[in-house]
Amino acid sequence: MTETVSPLLKIVVAIVLVIVVAPLVVPLLMSISDTAYIVFPPQGFTLKWYAAVLTNPEAQGSFLFSLELASIVTIMSLILGIPCAIGLTRFKVPGQDAVLGIILSPLIVPLIVTGVALLQLFSIMGSRATLLQLVIGHTVICLPYVIRSVSGSFVLTNRNLEDAASVLGAAPHVVATKIIWPQVRPGILAGGIFCFIVSFDDYPISMWLADGNHFPIPLYLYTVIERSFDPSIAAIASLMIFFALLLVLVIEKVFGISLARLAS
Amino acid sequence: MQSVNGTIPLDPLPNDGALSGARENNTKFSRLVEEAWSRFSSTRYTGFFLVLPALLFLGVWFIWPVVSMIASSLSAHVVDGVTVEGFTLENYTRLFSSDLYFRILARTVRVALLTSICAAVFAYPLAIAISRGGPSLARLVTITILAPLLVNVVVRSYGWQTILNKTGALAWALKQVGIPHPPALLYTEWAVLIACVHVYLPFMVMPLASAIARIDRSVEEAARVAGATRLRVFLKVILPLSLPGLAVGASLVFSLSSAAYVTPQVLGGNFSPLLGTLIEQQILTLNDWPFGAAISTLLIVMVLAVNLVFLKIVNRRFARWTEAAR
Repeated sequence: MTETVSPLLKIVVAIVLVIVVAPLVVPLLMSISDTAYIVFPPQGFTLKWYAAVLTNPEAQGSFLFSLELASIVTIMSLILGIPCAIGLTRFKVPGQDAVLGIILSPLIVPLIVTGVALLQLFSIMGSRATLLQLVIGHTVICLPYVIRSVSGSFVLTNRNLEDAASVLGAAPHVVATKIIWPQVRPGILAGGIFCFIVSFDDYPISMWLADGNHFPIPLYLYTVIERSFDPSIAAIASLMIFFALLLVLVIEKVFGISLARLAS
Repeated sequence: MQSVNGTIPLDPLPNDGALSGARENNTKFSRLVEEAWSRFSSTRYTGFFLVLPALLFLGVWFIWPVVSMIASSLSAHVVDGVTVEGFTLENYTRLFSSDLYFRILARTVRVALLTSICAAVFAYPLAIAISRGGPSLARLVTITILAPLLVNVVVRSYGWQTILNKTGALAWALKQVGIPHPPALLYTEWAVLIACVHVYLPFMVMPLASAIARIDRSVEEAARVAGATRLRVFLKVILPLSLPGLAVGASLVFSLSSAAYVTPQVLGGNFSPLLGTLIEQQILTLNDWPFGAAISTLLIVMVLAVNLVFLKIVNRRFARWTEAAR
């Protein structure tokens, strides 16, 4: 077949991609600048900003708290989401459309509004359990993704394989572990990873529900940007970018899931 | 699930003494599980029971709070710091009659609209490269577009600060080409717009790419053979046939950018707040819950309206067009 993409288009694409990458590369350059303020091009070379960030107990605390929160939220979402996906795809559910509407509705309502509504409810209830509130808030926004991803993988399973296995005498638990599990595993994994990322990166829910002792890393980053101007912010930003790159590598190489699938 | 009750489990391995005890226990246990499962899965309500936990969770922690928030925007208003109970539309009339609040509302709609339009302009070349380019080009573009989604939105917004700053990368680049005093961009609506387009671009590219991938290549080739230029092929074939993807992308980008909080705060500062910032101020600073609830309700209505307009009407039109073409 002939060339379907013109050279002009390739040039335009290259320019757009450079613009897309620029705000992620410029902080990297500025983080090594040996000046007391942010300047481009960077002057001198130092790693002292990285040392300052990595030894900062507040930054460490927020990072670890976010990891903990995202892990709990992922487990919660999978526990609630997998049975729900099985119910929706394998059984008749009365009022299926209404159920689906409720389950997917958190994807439509703006996150910041979901956060306000929850804060209002929690303050009426007089709740002080911040960790629990954050877990609930994040699970509300993660659950629809998990259910969508897991349902998708159950819909795609080949029922003939199960029938064949049963006819040949495989017990239901064997069918479940040897036939169904390998087919739905990528969907469950993708849903779990996506859930983890959504929770780890969330700002608009946490901004309402967090407090000083439960301070996720996105909130910490924001307060640092607001109050200081030296290149240590660029260093934190760079570390977060490296963390994201690491995630891309782990997702693609270790789990063998392409980014495109995760986003779909 | 399957009608397997009553089939005899085959034993594919020869029994040897050391394993047989464990195997027997194992089968006994699995029999129990099987029996429990078959009893559970054969009722009419199995699906309902499986769905129930998630449904209850979202009912209690999402539907209820959102509905009661909408109700609270209609059932009280605050006058000089004192809450007056009773049905009222005061919170909504205030939003539209006050010049300050109306400006913020207008800015939000403007930024969200412009973000959608700019994102579409940038997204088309990328989407064509993904769906029509070779595998390596498609992969390069997909990864470069999606990887930033894993970077926290605070960091992505901050990245633009380092570019648009007075001592930032853009000012330096402009100086190199002979513009020593460019107008300040940071903390203006432009900065908010630029960063919003960057942050929400992937949500436009992906639906567009899948819409373009669904277009039959022979239509494009026929147009090319008939002598159409690449631009004409784009305008007459790709653009109209990718409209459903554009509708999905535009409604996503509009919804996300109209409710954006972090990006406008980091790049607009206190000079160009959007509705998200207004909600935060009313509730956390001024403690005016009913008014905050009213702005939140307005955001929900805006997002629902845009989704309805883009997805329902555009898709119906599109169905009619393609029907007529056949």
